[in-house]
Amino acid sequence: MARSSERPLNLGLLVLLGGVVGLLVGLLSASFVLAVFQLNDWLLISPRSRMMFEHQGWLVAATIAVPTLGGLVVALLHRLILERRPHGPPDVIAAVQTRRGRLPVRPGLISALSSLVALGSGASVGQYGPLVHLGGTLGSLSARLLRASRSEDNIAIACGVAAAIATAFKAPLAGILFAHEVVLRHFALRAFAPVAAAALGGYLVESLIFDRPPLFYVASAEIQFRWEYLLFLVMGAVGALVAVTYMQALLAAARLAQRSRIPALLQPAAAGALLGTAALWVPDILGIGAETLRFTTIADAIGSAELVLLLVAKLLATALCLGFGFSGGVFSPALLIGALFGALCGNLAALVTGGPEASMVVYAVAGMVAVTAPVIGAPLATVLIVFELTSSYTLTTAALASVALANLVGFRLFGRSLFDRQLANRGLDLSAGRSRTLLQGQPIDAYVRPAAVILSPETPLRQAILRLGAGGHGEGYLVDDDGRYQGTVTLAALEARHRAGAETAAEAREPGRPVVAAGSSLWVALEQARSLEGAALPVIERGGKGRLVGVLPEVALSGAHVETLDAVRREEHGVG
Amino acid sequence: MLVVLVAPALGLAAPDNAAPVLRIGTWGGAYARAQREALFKPFSRATGIEIAVRRYDGGLAELRRQVAGDGDEVPWDLVDMTMSDTLTACREGLLQPLPHEQLPPSPDGVPAARDFIADALTRCGVAHTAYATVIAYDRRAFPGIRPTRVADLFDLERFPGQRALQRAPFGNLEWALRSYGVPAADLYNLLSTRRGLGLALERLDEIASEVRWWRDGGRPVELLAAGQVVMASGYNGRFFDAVAERDAPIEILWDGQIQELENWTISAASAQSSAAWDFVRYATSTDALARFARYLPYGPARRSASARVSDHIDRGLDMQPHLPTHPRNARTRIIKDVEWYARTHDRIRAIFTQWLERRGAIGTSHE
Repeated sequence: MARSSERPLNLGLLVLLGGVVGLLVGLLSASFVLAVFQLNDWLLISPRSRMMFEHQGWLVAATIAVPTLGGLVVALLHRLILERRPHGPPDVIAAVQTRRGRLPVRPGLISALSSLVALGSGASVGQYGPLVHLGGTLGSLSARLLRASRSEDNIAIACGVAAAIATAFKAPLAGILFAHEVVLRHFALRAFAPVAAAALGGYLVESLIFDRPPLFYVASAEIQFRWEYLLFLVMGAVGALVAVTYMQALLAAARLAQRSRIPALLQPAAAGALLGTAALWVPDILGIGAETLRFTTIADAIGSAELVLLLVAKLLATALCLGFGFSGGVFSPALLIGALFGALCGNLAALVTGGPEASMVVYAVAGMVAVTAPVIGAPLATVLIVFELTSSYTLTTAALASVALANLVGFRLFGRSLFDRQLANRGLDLSAGRSRTLLQGQPIDAYVRPAAVILSPETPLRQAILRLGAGGHGEGYLVDDDGRYQGTVTLAALEARHRAGAETAAEAREPGRPVVAAGSSLWVALEQARSLEGAALPVIERGGKGRLVGVLPEVALSGAHVETLDAVRREEHGVG
Repeated sequence: MLVVLVAPALGLAAPDNAAPVLRIGTWGGAYARAQREALFKPFSRATGIEIAVRRYDGGLAELRRQVAGDGDEVPWDLVDMTMSDTLTACREGLLQPLPHEQLPPSPDGVPAARDFIADALTRCGVAHTAYATVIAYDRRAFPGIRPTRVADLFDLERFPGQRALQRAPFGNLEWALRSYGVPAADLYNLLSTRRGLGLALERLDEIASEVRWWRDGGRPVELLAAGQVVMASGYNGRFFDAVAERDAPIEILWDGQIQELENWTISAASAQSSAAWDFVRYATSTDALARFARYLPYGPARRSASARVSDHIDRGLDMQPHLPTHPRNARTRIIKDVEWYARTHDRIRAIFTQWLERRGAIGTSHE
């Protein structure tokens, strides 16, 4: 399938590409994160800047005005994107899973910018989704600049994604794993080397140039009793329910927005105004909420009733913002919702253990993992993020226990992840595996041949038999004067009908011969071919008249099938 | 009576007419003694400019009064101010902007802009030392165990006895929140929330009945040395001085030390800004900073001076391990968020005072 202008890169060059993508994406990701902090300070979103601002009246005005205006800017930016919506991780996953690659630059950059505005103005959205998409877009762009093949485009996308995560969390291992678990969904050595180089590149940029303090530093964490691991397991299952509720709320809010009479241009602003107003009472829902996240790790900092209130408020705020057109990720809000859930579990457990002050952080982290892993569909990457963020093995084992059931329950009740569900809603079903996705993504057109024998339905049987026999063909296709497909006849049927005294070819038509519309995917053709008894599927013009375009020989179809499976196998198991 | 004159260039012989006098507002106690020996005396010898020390305990009250010209007080020329006070005073126009490019390079020729540590040079200030507010304890008070972390300040069960704390929000709020396990980097973000302030005051509530509040920086040293309290907050230099000079049984708990930079600033009301600037240039030179650290263990704001800090001026002990900036001491330090204090000072103080007054009903002793 490779076009002549695309050439496979040798592995060394591919690793070099990964490293360069890693450095670049690292630079951009770290700048993005810093810019969000800076904007939050300037725009009076961060608690510190709010505290340092002296005029109470202006502060109230800004709390409402900033997210509202931010929403307006976001909506204006989204008008510059063809689909009128921000691109995000689902687009990255789709590009790789369908092997289309080629993430477009323009919507990628606009989405990053609109996310920056959304995050900067305090919308309740996440920052890692935009970074992942930005990373993937830059990776894909660099592969295109090198005229690399689709397969390498995919790897370059994974490199960008890995670098973004590695930089944002200072977690190269998690970056590598995230790219494999969420984006590539296979572990080929050919992909591993460049992805690892990219993750390291991002990490190096972060630690050499920016060297921010860790996102979520935890000095010490203890698990008091071994049986608490059982609690973490159960927390995972219950946390998955929270995650499913969160994801359903996001989808429901998006449906609500579609039905809403607020014009699309004003929807984010409306959401921003509502968010800002609510934040006057519950400031914790503004922005990423790092301070609230920290409070969840302190025993008794937030009472149980308030934990529930905050959990619901944050969940609704995020659904509102994302549903009504703010751009941004789903991960950071899920972290906070999860931590609130975890703290709640910690409070319940404290009733039994008698106040586990030191282990509150363990519960918060277990809750975070239980809620986030089902949302992004990446149990291992989530656990590794915890490990690299906290450097605590105690926390990691607790996270492992809680993730064990979380993804399973989430999968049963909702699906592999929010991203997969969003793609399914757009018509791309990844649940049946990658080969099916690829077959669904590839049109049959390249395999369609002109029909060898075309007959008018009125052709006398004798003549029809002679036409087929002369060319050595077993099948002929009936087409009327307007070019419309009228059925298929086989040599055997023609001869049988002839002996039975029939006169025209139309009378020998094979009943129920499956057909396929032009432009259909290989997957559809294969489904149709299940009931095929002859040699080829007639290919009919899509819509309107039903003209015969050509035929899809079964041999070509099965060849294409094998070729696709082979390409997947090569990509997923290849070592270069 | 003040003679206004164009100050002579550094190092020139004393001027021949009446000796000018620079009025410097600075802190008392061991700190003032160290400044007198390490800075003021040598400066006067070199330039003939006399220095008159005026007692200053932080804040902006004197500066505001003098710049406004209220009363017949002779204004100070220089003030030795904390970074947060410097920033506020500068914004209020109480200080003169300083030409940092005229600061001398290090002896090895490193330009001042690179020799000074990060954030040392601000519009109206030249930082000279990093001092630390620390928790110290009486070595004799807890046989068999020792406080090792900030949280121990709030642990009356394991470490019973009275504590001397500054009658101000600074330090107390940070340590109270730190005792919950909040990382140093997050403290001010959390103190910016209602929840964070509430948690900190709740923690202080737990020990308030055992606290003796001090205002003067020398007081915690006295109380601790006299065995009247078992733990105290205070300035690392004062505690060091008590140990080095008087063998007081005091130990500094470096965990959670709060670092801030001290600045030389020139009052907007000063009529001798040129001579005052000469003093600043002299007092923040590598040699002067390294010399000062031989009297009191405050971390020099110049890298070249830090490297040159040697032994104590008369006790002969190595001063490096006593500097707040020494890597071993600085591992868990809290960097005072001076911008935050500069902007929130009055409100935070009001909250703290309100809390104190509520506590007052239960009978808190005030120093």
